[in-house]
Amino acid sequence: MRPALHWPSIRGRARADAGPLLLSAVVVAVVTFLAGAVPVALGDTADEAVQAAVRQAGSDADVQVQARWEYDDGSGGGRVRTARSAEALDDLRDRSLDELGPLGEVLLPPVELVDSPYLKIVNGAEPRSFRIDYVAGGSGPAVTWVSGAAPQPSVARLDVEAPFNGPPWPVQVGVSEATAARLGVKAGDRLQVEDDNRNPKDVRVSGVFRPTDPGDPAWQAAPWLLNPVHGRDGAGITRFGGMVSKDSLPDFRLAFEPDQTNRIVRFSPDPALLTLDSAQRIVSAVVRLKATSASSGDRSTESQWWTQLDTVLSDVQDQIDAATAQAAVLLIAVTTVAVLILLLAAELLAARRSPALTVARQRGAALPSLGLELLIESALVAALAAGAGALLSALFTGAVAAAWTLPVVLAGLLAGPAFGVVRAFRATRDRRVPANRGARLVARRTAALRRLTLELAVLAAAATALTLLNRHGVLPSAGGTVLLPAAAPALAVLTGAALLLRLLPLITGLALRQALRSSRPLAVFGAARAASASARPLPVLTLVGAAALASFALAVTSTVDRGLTDGAWRTVGADARLRVASDSVVTVPETAQRIAATPGVRHAVAAQVVDVAPLVVADAERPARLVIVDSAAYRALLAETPLPALPSLPAALSLPTASSPAAPNQPTASGPAVPALVRYAGGHVRTGDHLKLPRQAAPALDLVATGIAPAVDSSEDLVVVDAATMTAAGYQVVPDTIWVTGPGAGQAAAAHSGEGLVDLRAEVEASRRDAPLVTGLIRLAWASAAMLLALGLLGFALSASAGAPERWQTLSRLRTLGLRTSEARRVAAGELLPLALLAAAGGPLLGLLLIHLTVGPLSLRLLTAQPEAPPLVLPWAALTVLFLAFPAMVAAVVPLESALRRRRRLAEVLRVGGA
Amino acid sequence: MTKPIVEVRGVHRTFGAGPTAVHALRDVSFDVEPGTMVALVGRSGSGKTTLLNVIGGLDRADRGSLSVDGTDITRLDEDGLSRLRREKVAYVFQTFGLIPVLSAAENVGAPLRLARTPAADREKRVELLLDLVGLAAHAEQRPAELSGGQQQRVAIARALAASPRLLIADEPTGQLDAETGRSVMALLRGVVESEGVTALVSTHDPVMMALADRVIRISDGRLHE
Repeated sequence: MRPALHWPSIRGRARADAGPLLLSAVVVAVVTFLAGAVPVALGDTADEAVQAAVRQAGSDADVQVQARWEYDDGSGGGRVRTARSAEALDDLRDRSLDELGPLGEVLLPPVELVDSPYLKIVNGAEPRSFRIDYVAGGSGPAVTWVSGAAPQPSVARLDVEAPFNGPPWPVQVGVSEATAARLGVKAGDRLQVEDDNRNPKDVRVSGVFRPTDPGDPAWQAAPWLLNPVHGRDGAGITRFGGMVSKDSLPDFRLAFEPDQTNRIVRFSPDPALLTLDSAQRIVSAVVRLKATSASSGDRSTESQWWTQLDTVLSDVQDQIDAATAQAAVLLIAVTTVAVLILLLAAELLAARRSPALTVARQRGAALPSLGLELLIESALVAALAAGAGALLSALFTGAVAAAWTLPVVLAGLLAGPAFGVVRAFRATRDRRVPANRGARLVARRTAALRRLTLELAVLAAAATALTLLNRHGVLPSAGGTVLLPAAAPALAVLTGAALLLRLLPLITGLALRQALRSSRPLAVFGAARAASASARPLPVLTLVGAAALASFALAVTSTVDRGLTDGAWRTVGADARLRVASDSVVTVPETAQRIAATPGVRHAVAAQVVDVAPLVVADAERPARLVIVDSAAYRALLAETPLPALPSLPAALSLPTASSPAAPNQPTASGPAVPALVRYAGGHVRTGDHLKLPRQAAPALDLVATGIAPAVDSSEDLVVVDAATMTAAGYQVVPDTIWVTGPGAGQAAAAHSGEGLVDLRAEVEASRRDAPLVTGLIRLAWASAAMLLALGLLGFALSASAGAPERWQTLSRLRTLGLRTSEARRVAAGELLPLALLAAAGGPLLGLLLIHLTVGPLSLRLLTAQPEAPPLVLPWAALTVLFLAFPAMVAAVVPLESALRRRRRLAEVLRVGGA
Repeated sequence: MTKPIVEVRGVHRTFGAGPTAVHALRDVSFDVEPGTMVALVGRSGSGKTTLLNVIGGLDRADRGSLSVDGTDITRLDEDGLSRLRREKVAYVFQTFGLIPVLSAAENVGAPLRLARTPAADREKRVELLLDLVGLAAHAEQRPAELSGGQQQRVAIARALAASPRLLIADEPTGQLDAETGRSVMALLRGVVESEGVTALVSTHDPVMMALADRVIRISDGRLHE
């Protein structure tokens, strides 16, 4: 039989309950918008992150192919001048383009390059170096010759053979106006340059050029051709460049040994063409390309591929995976609470409609008909609200992640009809409470068993999700799926809330017993009302869930925020860091002294940092970053930073004598062992272990771990030793790094930027904060926290509203016993306060316990750029707001309810039957 | 001659205004002597409940004067009415209105708590009242564990707890079966005599009318004795 619909009832119910329906619609719309927009926005952000990572990687992301020149051995024992050298370079380019395959689609037009080794300019006091380069890319780089002419062949016969052991082969180069001015050269001049072995080179200036377009990408391959560059070849050294032409390229080759120059073709990726999807394909393509690459030791002319693009993309992919998973955690949290809110709203709606539904049933309305009527209403509301949310999502992000909106739309669609039908069924079913006590007991036990089963199911799901999260982390690459681990916080919160739901009646019962022993009537009535209301599951689950997950989201923001700061400190190690090339070391201690003397600088400490020191522990290679530093000065520097303190390093320790027992890890070499602070992520080395540091032409140096190195560095494996002790042990300490602290540190370090690479902590932190993924995740976490809090407060209002008729009915009856209006308000507050306090205190405690358990597996370190999970940071100010918000709702709701009820006379409230 | 405990003079009560106005009470005047049980009888919508509410201070008359135990309640503010309800007037409702998580004894003791009666006196009084309504053995049971009749007996005991001068009962047997209703009515009759309280009871029940000292009929807001 087809269910009969009563349209006037549908319209009448919708009109009468427009408020709750509108509220449900707003929740559906807002959550649909958030859930529909965030994954899409994250996808866009992911594309931005890929592009930003590639941009930031600069030349590291370039794909470079290199090949030796064809042999040019001449019949006379010399080398033949290869007139078609440029064509040979073009051949490599064309061959490379074929080999690139799909990778070629995201790469800019290549730049062909031939780069000379380091040459020293011998005249003049200033330390200067010189490079000769051939650069060709597209149609450029185009130049205008302001004097002289483009480099010409140095010989008339183009295929001449250069004699073995002959004089330096002459080569003509063009120089830029800036270079010409700085070197004081003009067309026709010979440059006084020699190689590392002091072999002079015959380099002549053919002309002075002006670049047509200084922004031509080809110049990026050798920027020193346009302007002298400081610090590239060591502190205080300025690098100049001279450009050869297609015609003088053969002479350039003959001017150097055959293996001193190579054909290079460099492809820069076009960040604008990169997306997350294409990144995955590109990584595979690069891996394939590298697999086919000839090795660097290969003397054939095969292509050797080199690029860090795959590493750059893999790293950013990990970050995106982490951000996606973290966003999923937050979205699932918001969706869970939103679904609970919709259930709460549906429960309220069903309670309001109970009389009408009961009457409809008594008049013969079938349950399917009532269900269908309610479904039509909820479908209309849910469709309109979801449509509005989806429209907003489409407007803001251009698309809607429909799958994420399903839970909330389904809840909006089905909750109202389900609660309504159940209410109508219960109101009219012919089932009374069993008269005999045994039957009542069985009924109670059946209900308890049903509830326990449901709780155990949630507990099992939460335990599984948490185990997955802790074992595999949140990254899909590790666990295969992101959804269940990402749901772990929400499931765990539901489990915790279910536990609190068990506790609440015990607490309110205890409070009631205490109140009954007291002489305060209001306490008795308040506690009695609270005890009556404490068994309702939805309010507890919703409020505790919202508060817990809001605290969780807030803790994520504060932990990431602090992690970014800590990460920047660990990356730089101080307010500023100056790293200089190893061949300019003699100036480092002096530079450190000069920097230390700069106003605003508190500490400037020089150190030698060996990124991958080949340390050996018990015959096993344990490479680590080795920091050789004046430990006292370094300790003083660290003491003024948020970085952990440096434990003291004892003086050199004597090895055990031959008669004393030696530990298994102890070396057999004699001599004092250098004390070292050691930190290995894998825990391979413990205090007391010995480490060997191999040296060239000297016995390995013995280090002994005397303590744990503090986490002051971005490396996972770190060994810190004292410079003076190392020197005393015969190790030649060559400082190459200066750490600087103080308000003027950045400025002081920047002033010495010509001597090396300067890293400023503030800049590192700012750049990480501005990264699209970090910005996006922090915004989402804040938005989630705000929305969860708003949903929690809305849940409180709904819960209070659902209980209001019974509450004020009871209070009205108590008023017939003589309770005053003001006292009635206090009793009402007494009823609502336990739930509010449970949400305010239990929720945050649950949330913080959860973030404590999951902060590692959430992989926040991938966003904060820290080697380990960032330490948990509690957002006390925000938690205080959260704690106060729920009790504040009690203070707001009770007077409002009281004012609304006061409009109705006590007689109306209590009225039963006719007038 | 004893002064009436309830004096009603020319009381009017109208709900709404204009053509849809409902005149629930029209120029109602009567007195109730202390220690009597008065049955207020009338069909649904006749004005019984409105009259009881106006007398008990749960509602206000539009016109006329009303005094309970010598107090002109039309002049009382909210606090004055609360005091009146706490000290002089008690109610028994059709739906009992007990607090579900409190035992029968705790429910009965509720008005005494409001009156700040010392615990020992309160316990003694509760015990006495539960004995009076025949529920001494059910003192620790909660409302859900009691039958409808038992719950109404607890409600009557609660109403009597603070020794009111006037007991107002609005359809006290409305949700009870006939036999239970009769026993509740007999109980009311008994407490009027034993406690010396005045009872004003609205009812449809002819048995109740027979138990009453006086029957006042009301229809369309007017009295017909």
